[in-house]
Amino acid sequence: MIKICITMLALALSLLSVDVWAESDVLGFVKIVEGEASITAEQGTVPARPGLPVYMGNLLKTAENGRLGVTFKDNTIMSLGPDTELRIDEYLFAPAQSELKLAASLLKGTLHYISGVIAKLKPEAVSVKTPAGIIGVRGTRFLAKAEAE
Amino acid sequence: MLKTKNSTLACSPARAILLLLALGLSGCSQSYVVLLAEDDGSLGKVEVTTPQGTTLLENNRDAVNLEGEAGKTFLVSEQQIKEDFGAAIAASPEKPRSFYLYFEGGTATLTAESMADIPEIIAEIKRRPAADISIIGHTDTIGDEQTNASLSLERAKSVAAIFTEVMPDAGKVTVDSHGEKNLLIATPDNTDEPKNRRVEVTVR
Repeated sequence: MIKICITMLALALSLLSVDVWAESDVLGFVKIVEGEASITAEQGTVPARPGLPVYMGNLLKTAENGRLGVTFKDNTIMSLGPDTELRIDEYLFAPAQSELKLAASLLKGTLHYISGVIAKLKPEAVSVKTPAGIIGVRGTRFLAKAEAE
Repeated sequence: MLKTKNSTLACSPARAILLLLALGLSGCSQSYVVLLAEDDGSLGKVEVTTPQGTTLLENNRDAVNLEGEAGKTFLVSEQQIKEDFGAAIAASPEKPRSFYLYFEGGTATLTAESMADIPEIIAEIKRRPAADISIIGHTDTIGDEQTNASLSLERAKSVAAIFTEVMPDAGKVTVDSHGEKNLLIATPDNTDEPKNRRVEVTVR
C-alpha cells in the first residue's frame, strides 16, 4: 500500500515538474522599450527592458508614454502603443510534435501584430481576444485598438 | 463618410455637426481591427468575431468596428492609422532573418561556401538589439531516420559552437533538430540532396 502511495506521489510530482517546466519556457524576448513599460508575472512586476524574456501568462503593460516590442520564438511580432495591456494566455511552439497555439488578450490600448510560423502552419491556432470580440488571424499583419471593458 | 470633409457641404452648420459626429465616431472612442499589408506588399486575412457575428477582412486598411454591425467594413485612412497606431508600429521589432548553412554529405562539416557566410550572420547578431537566435539542424534522406536524427542534432550543435563567443548567454540560443522530417526539397527516401543537409539559423 505504502509502495503504491509512493508511486502515486512520484507520478504526481513528475507530472507537476513537467508542468512547471512547460510554464517556465521562454516564449520570446522584449526587443524594444520606450518610455515606461512593464511585465507582470505571478511573482510580481518588473520594468521591461530589451532582452527580458516573456513567459506564458505574462501581462505586458505600457504607461501613457510607453511602447513595447516583443519577438516570439516562432517569429511572431507584437508591439504595443501607449496605455496598453496585453496578456499572453497560451503559447505552444513545437512544430515537430505539431503542437502549435498562440492566444493573447488585448485588454486595452493598441496592438500591432505580424504573424510568425504558428499562424503559417496552423492559422486556426492563433487568436487575439479583445473585450469586444475575438480576432482570428489567417496570416500576416493587423492592428487592433481596444477600449477597456 | 469622411469624403465630405473637403467639399463645400461642410459650410452648412447642420452638415458641419454631422461631419463632427462622423469624425468623432471614427476617431478615438472606438475599438476596431484593421488588416494591413506587410512591408513587402503581402496581404493576409483576419477574421473578427463579436457577439454580432463574424467579419472577414481581406483588403489593405479594411477595418471593422468591434462594437458595430458584423460584416460592415470600412477603409481606414493612412492618417488615422498613424494617429491611432503610429506608436505601436514604431515599437515593432525588426523582422527575424534566417540563414541556411549547408553540410558535406553524412557529416557535420560545413561546406566552404557556408563557412564563408558565418561573418555575415555574426554581423547581423551584433547589429540587432538584444538578439536571440535559434539553430535547427536537418539532414537529407540518406540513411535511416535514427541516424539522421542524431546527425541533424550534431550539425546544429556544431553551428551553435561557432556562435558561443558572440552569443555568450545560452538562454538566448535555442538548439533543435528535425532529422530528415523537415525537408527543404521534397525527395524520396535515400536521396542525396545537398539543399536538405542544412542548419537554419534565425536571428531575432
